[in-house]
Amino acid sequence: MASPLEDDVFEKLKQKVDPAEQRKQHDDLNARRYAQAQKSQERLVELIDDNTTQPVTISSIRILHANRTRRAFLERVVNPLLSANREEPYTLAETLQEVGGAVDKLNRFGIFKSPISVFYDKPDQTIASSSPTDIDVYISAQERGNYTIKTGTEAGASEADAYVNAELRNLFGGAETLSAHGSLGTRTRSAYSLAFDTPILSNPDFKFQLNGFASSTLKSWASHEEVLKGGNSKLTWESPAGHRHEFGYSGIWREVTSLAENASPTVRADAGDSFKSSLTHTWINDKRDYPMLPNRGYLMKTVSELAGFGPLKGDVAFFKSEAESQVALPFGDTGITLTAGLRGGLLYPLALGGASTPQKSQINDRFQLGGPTTVRGFRLSGLGPHDGPDAVGGDVYAAGGASLLFPVPKVGKETPLRLQAFINGGRLLSLKGREKDGKLNSATVSTSMKNTISSLKDDLPSCAAGFGLVYAHPIARFEINFSLPLVMRAKEEGRKGLSFGVGVEFL
Amino acid sequence: MVPNIFSVPAPIRQLFDKFPLLTYPSNDLPHRAHLDGHVLYVFASEDGAAAGAPSYNPACLKWQTYLKFSNVDFRLVSSNNHASPSGALPFLLPSTDSSKAVKPIPSGKLQRWAMDKSSEAIEEPSDSRYEAYLSLLDHRIRRAWIYSIYLSPNSTSIAEPLYVLPTSNNSFVRLSIAHGLRRAAENELLKFSAVINAESLYREAEDALVALEMLLGTDKWFFGASNPSLFDASVFAYTHLLMDRRMDWVETRLPDAALQHKTLVKHRDRILSAYFPSM
Repeated sequence: MASPLEDDVFEKLKQKVDPAEQRKQHDDLNARRYAQAQKSQERLVELIDDNTTQPVTISSIRILHANRTRRAFLERVVNPLLSANREEPYTLAETLQEVGGAVDKLNRFGIFKSPISVFYDKPDQTIASSSPTDIDVYISAQERGNYTIKTGTEAGASEADAYVNAELRNLFGGAETLSAHGSLGTRTRSAYSLAFDTPILSNPDFKFQLNGFASSTLKSWASHEEVLKGGNSKLTWESPAGHRHEFGYSGIWREVTSLAENASPTVRADAGDSFKSSLTHTWINDKRDYPMLPNRGYLMKTVSELAGFGPLKGDVAFFKSEAESQVALPFGDTGITLTAGLRGGLLYPLALGGASTPQKSQINDRFQLGGPTTVRGFRLSGLGPHDGPDAVGGDVYAAGGASLLFPVPKVGKETPLRLQAFINGGRLLSLKGREKDGKLNSATVSTSMKNTISSLKDDLPSCAAGFGLVYAHPIARFEINFSLPLVMRAKEEGRKGLSFGVGVEFL
Repeated sequence: MVPNIFSVPAPIRQLFDKFPLLTYPSNDLPHRAHLDGHVLYVFASEDGAAAGAPSYNPACLKWQTYLKFSNVDFRLVSSNNHASPSGALPFLLPSTDSSKAVKPIPSGKLQRWAMDKSSEAIEEPSDSRYEAYLSLLDHRIRRAWIYSIYLSPNSTSIAEPLYVLPTSNNSFVRLSIAHGLRRAAENELLKFSAVINAESLYREAEDALVALEMLLGTDKWFFGASNPSLFDASVFAYTHLLMDRRMDWVETRLPDAALQHKTLVKHRDRILSAYFPSM
């Protein structure tokens, strides 16, 4: 038997639910919740605002869940916050800011799951040692897993490979990372590396890295295979303004081997072993809003390398310097951007420690230019001196380009897809001045270098123009372009028609 | 012509052909420039190569001498095995008049090439014993040479300064290359016997030298030929290096054995004074 009440329920259920009505109810609920949250937020802000100047002392900081992380390592991050270690007393606002800074640091070590949450508590006032202004801070930092292993395959325009990546995190409890990488492929025949990375003095902006590697790469544009074995160590430091500096030493055994049958005499002359012992410095100031497809901002980068000079020893001696810049200018809010880039580099021959005559440059130290990520519209290493089938590289180069990027119609400017029209060009030259006995002379090298640099602007640069489609994926930028070479040197290899490019840095 | 869907239509092709609009002359090559003429890549010091001195490697010296017999004009370039298309020196890069790529000639094809180039082709003696005696050189003497140079105490006085030190200034690289060289020598010898027995290797080489001396007898050149042939070059490649006073022998058994054979000494001196007059 059904009661009238139950009938009523059935009646109600029978009635069709009006979707509009339901949505309205839903929206109302959401609005109410939002208002509530907003209000409580406001109350909190008000409360904090009222108390911003309230004196506060931090009596203890407790980091929860960080079981595998060393105490000494965490102490360096939080100790400066403790009132016992400070001369000035805190206000509440300062406390929140300082604790926020410490949490941000912890986040940047990359060993904790985000978000890291923070709790404040008043200590028990019955404890004799506590003062009325004391607060306790609790930071809940869940550690991430201590290892990851990734395997995969990649295929690109001219290369396919399979790789394994393994990473051990927080190895000794001080945010140290040990990562191993191995890959086999068509162009990079094989590559193995082992890297150890650690922050210095618990500072995520100051790191030390030790790296050992072995690789074998097919350099088809110069008919040989290059086998590398070596190691490097580097210090990286990021200034608060976002300038990144890297100082490093590297020692690499290079072998130019497995020459193709029609390799040119220039490549044959450089075949064999050489050891490069060098100091490097890299400076990067990247102020672009989105590096893969910048809308506004600029990039400045320099790389300098000193090899074989004085006590560095080794088999090659030179000073090599490269500079790169890019600027992106938006046209209002239209999604249309003009990007322009300029690059240049020089390789200055030096005398090996103990020797008196400067060394001639070798093919594995010289610059290469041309290809989808440098000068579009040319084949890979298509610019510069060519000996028969081989791009033998040059000692001085300059390249520049400008691209006008605009949103794809109907797709919109929010997507990472753009149409581009570009013009780019460059020059790659070998050091001028040919000595009769085949030896360089330190007195003439500087004048040769000056002559070479000034001849960069003789005649028009080799250049190409075209248009295409750009897609910026978070890990790489893809381009498909149609282009035609405008100016070239004989033997330089231009590319007419479609070309495909994948890379991180484009001109 | 069969129409191809991938071929570019004629009007577009004509448009494409207009590009590049401007072509300048080619860029200069870096310092290590071309040498004109035929170039033989051998193991040699930079100075030795410039002076045309005999190579310190028997395989290289054999072909260097043979090309001299053939009256072919060539230059030497100091090189290493990485430069060679076959993985071993010597090889020859023929001269070209144009900028066209040239194919290198490995040692296995050098005899044929020299015969084509030379005005007075050398005829190899057609003696039935030719192959048998050649195998004495290519096996017995060569194996004793390999042992003596790379595995005996001579490895530090001869192999190291000639083959290891010039590769790099770095001690790790040198150590690794020296180790690789030793291993390669051992593997080469183990192809022919299960163990490396110095005594038997030397004894076989000594027997071979005796046999070669008897073969030469009172003749000027081997097999009674009127002109030196590839066989003479092959013998000279070992005898010259064994008798060269500039080689720093520590274990002298092999050079001592060679020096005992006066006719072989004379044969070596004859070639040296005729074809390497400045030495």
